[in-house]
Amino acid sequence: MASVGGGSKETLTLNLYPMLDIFSILIVFLLMSYSTDPVSHDVNSGLELPDSVTMVTLDELPAIVVTKSELFVNDKKVADVVNGEIPKDQLGESFQGGIRPVYDELKRIADANKRIAAATINDPAQVGKTGALTMEMDKGHPFKLMKRIMLSAQQAEFVTFKLVVTRVEN
Amino acid sequence: MRRKRKGIKRQDVTDIELNIIPFIDVFSMLNTFLLFSAVFVATGIIEVQVPFLSNAPQPKEEGQRTLEVKVDAAKDKLQVITEYSKDPRNEQKFDFPNTKEGMDRMHERLVSIRQANPTQDKLSFFSEDDVIWETISAILDAAKFRKQTDPVFSFKNEKTGAMEQDQQFVFPKIVMGSVIL
Repeated sequence: MASVGGGSKETLTLNLYPMLDIFSILIVFLLMSYSTDPVSHDVNSGLELPDSVTMVTLDELPAIVVTKSELFVNDKKVADVVNGEIPKDQLGESFQGGIRPVYDELKRIADANKRIAAATINDPAQVGKTGALTMEMDKGHPFKLMKRIMLSAQQAEFVTFKLVVTRVEN
Repeated sequence: MRRKRKGIKRQDVTDIELNIIPFIDVFSMLNTFLLFSAVFVATGIIEVQVPFLSNAPQPKEEGQRTLEVKVDAAKDKLQVITEYSKDPRNEQKFDFPNTKEGMDRMHERLVSIRQANPTQDKLSFFSEDDVIWETISAILDAAKFRKQTDPVFSFKNEKTGAMEQDQQFVFPKIVMGSVIL
């Protein structure tokens, strides 16, 4: 309330304690969730994942990402996706139902993995073990597209697939 | 109403004040970093396999009559097929609509099949080309994962050889049978 002729000044003080309270609780929560999640992965914005009741968490970053319009292998775009299919001119040379560019990239990865495994693993029986691939795909794509990608990977000796989904309550 | 302050002489006391400005600085930076790097969508995985192509001859399992369990998915229906590998094959087929209720009933059927054949932990999945991935993931959920009300199945730990209880799965091994040349 202003006073006439008066000279008293009212000072406003900001009470920081509630803000510190919120900050400290928020930090504890974020640090806890940061440390319990083994892999921090942002889902690609160009796709939507289906829901699943799985309790198995993601343990490695996806090697194959299929958005609504593009197909990536290890962050490298290899083909377009049009209405859930790969255009015929991008399938590559006839490949028994697979996708040639996907096979070429995965073969490169498989050969590199074998070289590393041969150099680091002592047991020769373990070196030639079949690999696993993590795949992230938009929920609207048909099984035909998934089958083509799996066929290509199968030819490159990847036989285990970890299909990324959004976890929901069982 | 104002009170007149009495003229109290303050003694020379050194007040210790805590400077919380750097504290707020650090907290706000840490919060900003953690909020930007936080992932608020929980992701998981469904593990499946494809038939492995090998030139090696298949191991002969003479005398072993094993049960093969298959799930066939189409756009409007689901079918569970059970068949023995040797005669009498006793093929049985169970049809369900491709809806939420149909998947729940399919899940119950698969649980009863697993209960009757505890050593059979593998299921083959076949699908038509036009079934979308969202539907397939729901079917794999129903086929693979155990619900709270389901019985717990045992499995043999390959490393130790001991029987252990599996709290997560009904059929832990799913093979995508359609993915074959």
